[in-house]
Amino acid sequence: MLPTVVIKLRGGAVLLVSTAFLIAGCSRPGPPAQPAPPATAVSIALSDAGCEPQPASVPAGPVTFRITNSGSRFVTEVELLRESRILGEKEGVTPGLSGSFSLRLDDGGAYRIHCAGGAVNSWPFTVTGGSGQPGTAPENASLVAATKGYHDYVVAEVDQLATAIKQFTDAVRAGDMNKAKQTFPLARVHYESIEPVAASFGDLDPSIDARIDDVDNPADWTGFHRIEKAMWQDKTLDGMSPMADKLDADMITLKSKVAGETYQTAQLANGAVELLNEVSTKKVTGEEDRYSHTDLWDFAANVDGARKCFELLKPALAAKDPDLARRLEGRFTDVADKLSTHRQGDAYVDYSTVPEDQRRGLADAVNALAEPLSRVAGLVV
Amino acid sequence: MEPTSARPIGGCGAVSRRRLLGGVAGLGFLGASGTGLTSCARATDTAGTAQQAMAFYGSHQAGITTDVQDRLAFAAFDVTATRREDLVDMLKTWTAAAEAMSRGVMVPGDSHAGAVPPADTGEAVGLSPARLTVTIGFGPALFDGRFGLAPRRPAAFAALPALPGETLDPACCGGDIAVQACADDPQVAFHAVRNLARLGRGAVVTRWTQLGFGRTSVTGTRQETPRNLMGFKDGTRNIRSDDSAALTKYVWVGAEAGQDWMRGGSYLVARRIRMFIETWDRDVLSDQEAVFGRAKYTGAPLTGKGEFDNPDFADRTADGELAIPDNAHIRLAAFEANDGVRILRRGYSFTDGIDARTGTLDAGLFFISFQRDPAQFVTLQRKLGKHDALNEYIRHVGSALFACPQGVADASGYWGRALFEG
Repeated sequence: MLPTVVIKLRGGAVLLVSTAFLIAGCSRPGPPAQPAPPATAVSIALSDAGCEPQPASVPAGPVTFRITNSGSRFVTEVELLRESRILGEKEGVTPGLSGSFSLRLDDGGAYRIHCAGGAVNSWPFTVTGGSGQPGTAPENASLVAATKGYHDYVVAEVDQLATAIKQFTDAVRAGDMNKAKQTFPLARVHYESIEPVAASFGDLDPSIDARIDDVDNPADWTGFHRIEKAMWQDKTLDGMSPMADKLDADMITLKSKVAGETYQTAQLANGAVELLNEVSTKKVTGEEDRYSHTDLWDFAANVDGARKCFELLKPALAAKDPDLARRLEGRFTDVADKLSTHRQGDAYVDYSTVPEDQRRGLADAVNALAEPLSRVAGLVV
Repeated sequence: MEPTSARPIGGCGAVSRRRLLGGVAGLGFLGASGTGLTSCARATDTAGTAQQAMAFYGSHQAGITTDVQDRLAFAAFDVTATRREDLVDMLKTWTAAAEAMSRGVMVPGDSHAGAVPPADTGEAVGLSPARLTVTIGFGPALFDGRFGLAPRRPAAFAALPALPGETLDPACCGGDIAVQACADDPQVAFHAVRNLARLGRGAVVTRWTQLGFGRTSVTGTRQETPRNLMGFKDGTRNIRSDDSAALTKYVWVGAEAGQDWMRGGSYLVARRIRMFIETWDRDVLSDQEAVFGRAKYTGAPLTGKGEFDNPDFADRTADGELAIPDNAHIRLAAFEANDGVRILRRGYSFTDGIDARTGTLDAGLFFISFQRDPAQFVTLQRKLGKHDALNEYIRHVGSALFACPQGVADASGYWGRALFEG
């Protein structure tokens, strides 16, 4: 399960989302001035009254919206709209929190700031100058192909996931322990490869993939790991049929959600890094599949998902920074080579048999890949 | 006692991200007690200098004769890069980052764009430079066949031999490259090591790290002598930064190295010395003083009144015993007893939680010394390891040797340039 909130982006705007708070007002001098024009700052203080932007009019160009919530329990998210399209949003700004998102608004004209739950939930916002045309700059053709390609990949993975899960859940319902254990890792790989996407759909990922530490009440625990515990620790499938049914139902939800989902290039790039972060924090430690020790299957699937994102972005990246593209290619190969030493036939070895020094070698290879991969978003977006 | 099994809790085992964070928390806790311990010294020694940025460029690296800062973050790395160019690229990147951090500015690169991870990790923003120095050293293992450096290895430079008094944990030993970051602010020191580890990702992996709180040595001419965890003043007779004759003779490598890249450099010995402080605390004061050969509170040798009185090693008590016992630490370590051999000490106290088997504190001295030839340390430790009365209360559990090259002259240079290009 991914603990991070993935902020979904819709519409065709060139949009960068940052969950990090901007460093401001520091005595330590920052790096030299950047060549890019400075972003105009717009403050939005969420309150029960709504979400008034300050200022309400900015010149065309890069804009950073800084959102604060000093006490409203009802207004916790804000969206920027052009006509009916959401160009940017920030969710989950509960009292005491703050956040920001940045984007380029090159087109002059009328926009709106929207916040559900406020006394006034729609506020005017104007961009002056610029082209005056609605819409955005045409995207790089290879990036359009990348996001389209990623959509198709996710849909295909979820199709395979649904099929593989059905084999698993049928075995669970039939009480066939051997078959259930055998199909468990095979089903999981198609989930792990697209986990950041699945994790962006609210409660779906916790329902499918929560570990026992993620739930408040063990009685509410559902999904893969609940059944994993039944199989490997409790050694019985008794009472697991409802869990199997829930997984099947969640698959129907997931399928319908990914069918219409569109992606931003930033999501591909950052999603790839998130997948590797999953590996380096949860898979390498063996805590993800703590009962079955099938962690290496998930590990490989996370890396495959990250590699898919990279492959899709590679043409655009290679045009900007061919050295980085080559380096990433090499480091993906390093990780794959290290993983392959733990394969036996068409399966991965029990992770509990992998010695500490070899686990460390896997972690080092993943971290060596993830660090430069984290620079991709800044180059292709 | 087998120090190796203490490692899962404390020690210098492999550092994961989680472990680094644990280290920060631990340091924060210790920071409070460490400050209390040395608050008098801090007030007088560093009040006027805490805001200073230390010069990075120079003929010698900073962090050797620099007045010892209060905190240490030390890391040893193994090189995973297989190409010499990749290693050189990393050293260039590291040099630029270390130089910037020494001035108190962020690691070069973009730290403000929303779409990329910031180039600098950020925890030192708003803090003063805190007299940060970052010092690099190369381990003997780097001079194997991997990067064509074997012909560049100075004759004096080989892994330390086995020495008495040590029970080494391999996880706390060795390394291809070391980084010593010292600062008056623990977060500034940690920030330096963390960012270099990050910038080196893919070219190096972290082998072990050590945080140090509380300096246990003095190199400055106006610095007060601090105390080690045994409560004794340490480093009274250390080489001082203004003693250029001693520095030339005992610390800086000269023409004898046969390798120009080390001229003006120095050899760094690091020893993780576990102290059995619980048993030490049960030892009576007179014996504690006999073990060191000094009075606990004044720091005076047992033959003198003041801390800086020269010890009289021949002096005897009324009943004919040596006033400074023959196995006292200061007698065995003294240059008078070692053909004049001296070293520049720059160690720090450490603690890394508890020893899970015994419930005792895993604490001690992270000994660092700089010398012109590693043989200087070997000579002293051969004697101390065999005869020192202190051995009942200490054990050397970690060890490493690094060749710290000459300084970087200006912005056109980088760490190790003369080694790789000379």
